[in-house]
Amino acid sequence: MNGFTFIEKIIKSHSDASVEEIYPGNIVWINLDLVTARDYAGPQVVDLFQNNYPGSKVFDNQKIIFTPDCYPYGNDPKHAIDQEKIRFFAKEHNIKVTDLGSGIGSHLIFRRGFAKPGDIAFGADSHYNILGALGILGQGAGDVMLAFSMKTGKSWIKIPETIKVNLKGKYVWPTSSKDLALYVLKKLHEFGITGKAIEFYGEIISELSIEERVTLCSLITEASGMIGFVLPDKITKEYYERLGIEIEIFSADKNANYSEEITIDIDNLGLYIACPPHPHNVKPIEEVLGTPISSIVVGSCTNGSASDIHEVAKVLEGKKINTEVRFGIVPATREDFIDINANRDMTIILEAGGNFFGAGCSTCAKGQYGLTGGETAVTLTTGNRNTQGKIGPADVYLASPAVAAATAIEGKIARPRVGEE
Amino acid sequence: MTEEIIRGKAKLVRIDDIDTDQIFHQSLLTIHKPEEIKPHIFGNLEGFENFGKENNSNKILVVGKNFGKGSTRQQAVTGFLAHKIKAIVGESFGPIYYSNAVNEGLLLIEVPNLSGFEIESDDELEIDIGQSVIFNKTKGIKIKCNKIPQPVLDIINAGGLLKLGGKF
Repeated sequence: MNGFTFIEKIIKSHSDASVEEIYPGNIVWINLDLVTARDYAGPQVVDLFQNNYPGSKVFDNQKIIFTPDCYPYGNDPKHAIDQEKIRFFAKEHNIKVTDLGSGIGSHLIFRRGFAKPGDIAFGADSHYNILGALGILGQGAGDVMLAFSMKTGKSWIKIPETIKVNLKGKYVWPTSSKDLALYVLKKLHEFGITGKAIEFYGEIISELSIEERVTLCSLITEASGMIGFVLPDKITKEYYERLGIEIEIFSADKNANYSEEITIDIDNLGLYIACPPHPHNVKPIEEVLGTPISSIVVGSCTNGSASDIHEVAKVLEGKKINTEVRFGIVPATREDFIDINANRDMTIILEAGGNFFGAGCSTCAKGQYGLTGGETAVTLTTGNRNTQGKIGPADVYLASPAVAAATAIEGKIARPRVGEE
Repeated sequence: MTEEIIRGKAKLVRIDDIDTDQIFHQSLLTIHKPEEIKPHIFGNLEGFENFGKENNSNKILVVGKNFGKGSTRQQAVTGFLAHKIKAIVGESFGPIYYSNAVNEGLLLIEVPNLSGFEIESDDELEIDIGQSVIFNKTKGIKIKCNKIPQPVLDIINAGGLLKLGGKF
């Protein structure tokens, strides 16, 4: 008998389907461990729930969380009313809300231990699959699915094919997991992974922190993949131990069926940038060095962690941000704010001329549009999506935190350096 | 109930990797009602900005690869239902978009190698669900499409996923 891939194992453990029914392409019903929604989509989820299931209770109020993170400050009347709707519903059903300034929902799930490896978590966020970095089956879902799931605790899922991706080799600073993620995105988009799951392997994996793994897995969505997994290991176990949570380490079966196995050579990987108009338009930095940039944002679920902001501080220490550049930092969570305050990174960046904004999704969901915007501001962000017109009318580039900091000093796309020249 | 044969004229938007932000932009996310979503569809897709104001009722939308990649945006499905688009035919779809469409009762048809299949604007198309075939009557040519899984048809035939909420 064939074994199961990592995602097949998780699906099997959450379904009443028989062993014979667990194969790629088949659709099965699964029981969810966590259902969340945020300030975008959340209000419609509430409306759909109330209109379709009037007077009903949710399936389990301990397994639902609202995480307003797109437009966390609700600073216009429409958004404020939408957020109020979420709070009323949450209060009525005694559901947890991670409100104002808590940060990005997908990050809070692991930072606060709301889900653990092997769990299934659905939320109104197409980057919920970053949870694959911890071995959690996270999936973005639309309003209809979430309203249904809040009522029933269930969802349907099409079991994906799994591709085994071996990352061969190592890289050194200033190359980072963002450059790795961009390079892997380029390769996987070319290869074609629409709707498929990825399992990442390679000696580099055991050296990546949880935050670096999150960055790597965050760009699978941009290749139209379903999810990328880093299988739980010692690093994952230690991460959860710090939260006081014991986890079980498990992996794919040795005789699992992969649709494909590919190797991506990352030895001595350079610096990469996603250029307009698509995230997968990834180029070596050499091709765009010197491009003038007037707005820079460090943040998002891809690169908004304290360790990302530390990279920025490392490059900015003792330097000044170019006066032609607006430089905004949006930490992913309140916990990241605490970390960068504790280690002086925040002071270093403020002294260099940077600005901090409340924790949340940064420019990705338009909640902090003014950081980019305008008609001409060419933007560089550490985020994950530069689709034309999404976060501003002008061009948008995606790069690592270190490249963002170096670019802030020069006012044009530049290579990171540290210390005196 | 989904008809076994779906007929309609082709409306072509044959571009690969159309992101949900090009279908319904994130600056509009406080808009929830189908009729208010409708005029904004493809408002951020170069060359198709007027789609929202056109009458494409009862047409079959023909797209490229990875249609609907990007954000988990239900409005990017709702808007086509408001336009009374009968089905979307594409080479592949973003996985979340596929799920969102099924859940709201919008039929998506996956056709491998669609890019090589000749379709012009307003060609008469017929989709045979049972046989998994698309027939371009105007050109007199056929192409196989992927079989639609039975659970997907069950959800669409029920009138969308929310109708099944009482069954669990």
